[in-house]
Amino acid sequence: MKKKSTEVNDPLDKWREQLRRGGLELAILLSVSSTSRYGLEIIRYLQESTDLVVTEGTIYPILGRLTRSGVVEAEWVSDETPHPRKYYRLSQRGRKNLDEMLDHWNAYRSKIDHLVETAGRI
Amino acid sequence: MNLSEAGEARVRGYLFVLGQSLKSFLPRAVVMDAVQELESHIRERIDEAEAEPDERAALERVLQEIGMPQRVAQAYSAEITIEEAITTGRLLPTARAFWNLATTSLLGFFPALGLLFGYMLGFASLLTALLKPIFPNNAGMLVVDGVPRGFGVFSEIPPGGEMSGGYWIIPILIAVGLAILIITQHSATRFLVWWRARRGRPDVLPGWSV
Repeated sequence: MKKKSTEVNDPLDKWREQLRRGGLELAILLSVSSTSRYGLEIIRYLQESTDLVVTEGTIYPILGRLTRSGVVEAEWVSDETPHPRKYYRLSQRGRKNLDEMLDHWNAYRSKIDHLVETAGRI
Repeated sequence: MNLSEAGEARVRGYLFVLGQSLKSFLPRAVVMDAVQELESHIRERIDEAEAEPDERAALERVLQEIGMPQRVAQAYSAEITIEEAITTGRLLPTARAFWNLATTSLLGFFPALGLLFGYMLGFASLLTALLKPIFPNNAGMLVVDGVPRGFGVFSEIPPGGEMSGGYWIIPILIAVGLAILIITQHSATRFLVWWRARRGRPDVLPGWSV
């Protein structure tokens, strides 16, 4: 019985994991779209608003990549705290990317919603 | 929380190991920026732990939650080198990404070995084509007693052996060498794209209510 339970749960866990991964970049871009945030602030924001728990080893490399590709802009601010903070905000290019991502997201979501509705699962 | 001397030494030690681990794969400027950002993060977390009386326990908890410096470095390196290899498609970033994968995972080791073989074969073909006009009797396909024994440039021809093929093999070698290099590079990029998709954006911990 226990084996059967594992067989059922594993694909579901994988699916949940893929869904989280797919949404992470969008979530990060949204978190810096309206205001500048530094790394820890983004982690806390995602945790509080989405329950998406992201580690430091994940977020900083992604932020670095997004900065290098020009999607977000980074700036060191040293007059707020005894230690400097690196703030991230969405660039002009990032704003366009985010708009496109949201269009895709909304279109995809409405299609899935339609499927769910048609299947009578709501 | 103002750290004691021992606490400061612990943070510096952590950052030193992180910096050394990152240096293997990343340019100096990127390493310095990454280390500075992690330091800022650690100090931010330490400030949050101000109420805790036991500095050592609080600091260890913070560092433990961030993860071992080698593992953080690995995430940085993988993210940066793989991204660079995929977006530029250039040989050096690809080689760096595969070196990173080969040294950090078994699944990355064997494709890296295959890639090395592909590049060596491609370059060997081109080199043979280049050397054929200079050493016409030593470059090409070595045939001993009618049986093909090897391919490339040979310093000595064994008794009963001869180099098969005239100058006409030069364009063939160039075409074959370039084809092998292009296929190898294309396969390498495809593998890295697959690897990145497989990894996803790494280490997203459970807890997101979908």
